[in-house]
Amino acid sequence: MMSDGLTHGEWSEAVADGELLGQRCPDCGAVQGAPKAACPHCGSTALETVALPTEGAVYTETTINVPPAGVEERGYQVVVVQLGDARVMGRLRGDAVGIGDRVALSDSITDEDGYVAPVFEAV
Amino acid sequence: MARAAVVGAGMTKFGVHDKPLQELFAEAALTALEDAGVAPPEIEAFYFGNAMGGQTENDTHLGPKLATHVGMAGIPVQRFEDACATSSNAFKNAVEAVEGGHHDVVLVGGVERCTPKTGKDTAEMTRIFGSASHRQYEQPTGLTFPGVFALFTKRHMHEHGTTERHLAEVAVKNHGNGSLNEKAHFGKSTSVEEVLDSPVVADPFRLMDCCPFSDGASAVVVVSDDLADSYDAAVDVAGVGHGTDIVPLADKETPHVTIAARNAASEAYEQADTTADAIDFAEVHDCFTGAEVLASEALGLVADGEGGPAAADGTTARDGEIPINASGGLKAKGHPIGATGTGQIVELTQQIRGDAGTHQLDGVERGAAHNLGGDAATTIVTVMEGR
Ligand SMILES: [Zn+2]
Repeated sequence: MMSDGLTHGEWSEAVADGELLGQRCPDCGAVQGAPKAACPHCGSTALETVALPTEGAVYTETTINVPPAGVEERGYQVVVVQLGDARVMGRLRGDAVGIGDRVALSDSITDEDGYVAPVFEAV
Repeated sequence: MARAAVVGAGMTKFGVHDKPLQELFAEAALTALEDAGVAPPEIEAFYFGNAMGGQTENDTHLGPKLATHVGMAGIPVQRFEDACATSSNAFKNAVEAVEGGHHDVVLVGGVERCTPKTGKDTAEMTRIFGSASHRQYEQPTGLTFPGVFALFTKRHMHEHGTTERHLAEVAVKNHGNGSLNEKAHFGKSTSVEEVLDSPVVADPFRLMDCCPFSDGASAVVVVSDDLADSYDAAVDVAGVGHGTDIVPLADKETPHVTIAARNAASEAYEQADTTADAIDFAEVHDCFTGAEVLASEALGLVADGEGGPAAADGTTARDGEIPINASGGLKAKGHPIGATGTGQIVELTQQIRGDAGTHQLDGVERGAAHNLGGDAATTIVTVMEGR
């Protein structure tokens, strides 16, 4: 059985619409936050697209003061958020958060090449 | 029986080098050849590492260019790119080639120029280094490489109680070690206060928690086990383990555990028929102070959660139980990306021979090198021993 084929394009459209799509492996149960052609744990190609919760707890975070070329702001927070069984990386907006704090998907940002990233805010 | 042996080693000083890549590389390669007593035409193949020459100086297809420059045109040359683990992967493939009987005598090396003085500015280099993180699922967040290791280290601090002071102690130790190494980028010692007073790059990392952008080259001559005794000062390659992990980092099972390093270390120890307890010294990939903490735990040199305290209490000092980064590590010796991996092999070779000069450790027989690429999704661990 083939994966239902979640693509980066579909994932990005969902983020822009305020949703987070991930993939669940029917064979080993692992849930991934970033689309793949096969399960990184067991190799199954039967991955199912699932809607991830849009609210969860901060797994880890950092505040970046020396940005790469192309990013104008400084002192922005990047977070990895535990959303059910998956984790997703995004940018934080608003009040700073620490590990364990609750955050929710609130928006998205787009980089210079048109790639989107989820934006979270403290709840 | 060893998998292979290193019979010649050479490196440039790591730092600022205002000369083209081939000239920088020749300095390391010709030193390694001379050390081995091997002339360029005796080299049967060249395993080469350069991570970013295409992005930083519009210089690609470097293999034959460099081979030509050092008198080896015509032999098979292969170039590797695995971010910061680039030349360790070249080394692994060279070891396999002599072990498998495909070649008897090969050259392995890497070269890279990363300093803002000889190339692009800090913001541009930060973007280029960031290309090793996932293009679609990480880079759009504005993630940088200090940021990647900050994410790992923050979680480690949360779970194990590692402190910013512990991290500063890693920097103090490695700067102290680097001050004894004439090849090191940074030649001066520092203090916990100076580290904690430096500006924040990506918390918890301050400027003094981060390795520098360096220019440099390193090279070693690798031969098969059955030829090793015909050279003056062969050092055995007892094991080389190579692990990889999931990218992007949010999908890794437990990111700060750096499972690729644990798998690579187990594989290398098993090949060498040894254990972490029997390792006398190690060079680990301390691109950031927190990375040394994660690596020393992943290699089993200290217990999980003890990487920070081990730096603070002298366990990993050059006169401690298990000296880590006696060369100064990436933090003080420097980090010319594609030259870093074979730079560690040069260090292991010289320490085991007793040739490390002003930063020689006492009576070391068996060393481990840990070189990671990207978000630690590539890690290569090498065990070398006196022959
Ligand atoms: Zn699976």
